[in-house]
Amino acid sequence: MPPLNYFVVESPDEVGKEAYERIAADVLQDLDLIKVVDRLHVYVDPKVPIFVAAGLLRHMPRAIRVADFANVNRGEHEIVLDIGDETYLAPLLQKLWVLFGKENVEQPDRFTVVLPAGVVGEEDLEQIVVADPSETLYKDVIYALQYIAPEGFKVRRQYIREGKFYYVASEDTLPGDIVETLVAPIFAKMGVTL
Amino acid sequence: MTTLVPVTYKGGVYRHDEIMDLIDDLGGYIVQKHVMAQDVVLQSFVPRDDIEMIRRIAKPLAGEVIEAPLVGTEIAVVSPSLEIHHLPHTACDIAEYLRRAGAKTNMVGLARGFGKRIANLNDEERDVINEHDLAVYMLGSFEECIQQKFPALRQGIHVPIVVTGAPDRETLMRIIDPPVEGYVGGVGRIMHRFKRPEELAKLDELVDEVSRTLDARRDALAKDPLSVFPPRLMAIIEERIHEVTMLTHPTPVTAQMEGLRVKLPYDLYADDVRSLEVADGVTVGDIADVTPSRMRNYILIRIKPFSETRILV
Repeated sequence: MPPLNYFVVESPDEVGKEAYERIAADVLQDLDLIKVVDRLHVYVDPKVPIFVAAGLLRHMPRAIRVADFANVNRGEHEIVLDIGDETYLAPLLQKLWVLFGKENVEQPDRFTVVLPAGVVGEEDLEQIVVADPSETLYKDVIYALQYIAPEGFKVRRQYIREGKFYYVASEDTLPGDIVETLVAPIFAKMGVTL
Repeated sequence: MTTLVPVTYKGGVYRHDEIMDLIDDLGGYIVQKHVMAQDVVLQSFVPRDDIEMIRRIAKPLAGEVIEAPLVGTEIAVVSPSLEIHHLPHTACDIAEYLRRAGAKTNMVGLARGFGKRIANLNDEERDVINEHDLAVYMLGSFEECIQQKFPALRQGIHVPIVVTGAPDRETLMRIIDPPVEGYVGGVGRIMHRFKRPEELAKLDELVDEVSRTLDARRDALAKDPLSVFPPRLMAIIEERIHEVTMLTHPTPVTAQMEGLRVKLPYDLYADDVRSLEVADGVTVGDIADVTPSRMRNYILIRIKPFSETRILV
């Protein structure tokens, strides 16, 4: 079970309910979204057929800066970046190439990047933003819900804004007032108004 | 007459050729050989009385002989689609587990097998599934959906079917009408690798269900035997049509319960296969139908029963 503050799966089919609890937990875990999603309520009724997932996001992940994964050692002639975690090494190199030119960025081994002291001005190297995970987060959340929903439910409506999200899907055409009739009550159960 | 039983031999590469020669000398057949780094897996048919002897000879080589009920069968693992919802878990895990029991499995991902109202099966999928000995249908989590979509997915399928799904076995039996040959409940859509003991128990249950179904078919075949034992025909084809040895497929000739799939182009090789002499004056064409397979451009050989040909090779 993921450590969400609220995680409920509702379905008239008892076996299906248990299966979807497991599916939702597995998908969130696989896509590394457990830390991102705060509350999640899933309602699925194959008889209608309808699938609704609604929830809240926790805080947005902050931007990744050089200081988060590397040590900056300023020497007399050169600045040595000691990389602790390689995950963001590629975007870091891209950034450095743009800022200081490819000829000035040296990488003697996997975990070391060397810059000549001359080219780097007074700017704070540690604070350069390397990547912003929140850019792709919305896409990831919607993808996760698409992944959790039954595959045949191809007609869908999705929303993600200001920390709230919902995803409604069905095999048939969705009624125009589905958000008011089905999604809003689910948010109400979580103590939130849409 | 000696009874040949399906077994799997697992051992090292070192001196495994001696085991292969031994099986050959005993009158057995090797249906499939896998060499994985230092290990060798031989799927074979050996005389029942000689299993102990093989065990004894294999002992110094650290080889083991295990009964493998599904050797010599080709099984279709049918998934509603090849989307991330069904792959890699369930579909691959089931296919792999059946392979461990000796079967040759092919995954059939339907183009439109999802959705309870929109699910359907096209003619190519139907024909490909019908070329197998058995089809394992992996259905989802809801009783309602299985009940509605399964009739569409089984339309025109005449090979035995084993259904898996999240509802329990009794529910599956109740909602599937007319009944199919096997049911395994409690599987459904699973988004993680099968590794917990209860999940592995389900896979064992599936293997039991599949082998029970195939045993029933084997019993029926024993009453009216085939004109030639498929692995025997396989050995003949591998020996006489040398192009087979140049194929890079894991199983250039796939043994089925009632025939063979030869992975050579039909247009170029069908006549060679048909005119191949199996025994004195008996050709493959006399005892089997050599037809084009719906799977790529392969050749499908369906061996006719003794009652039809009056020939037993």
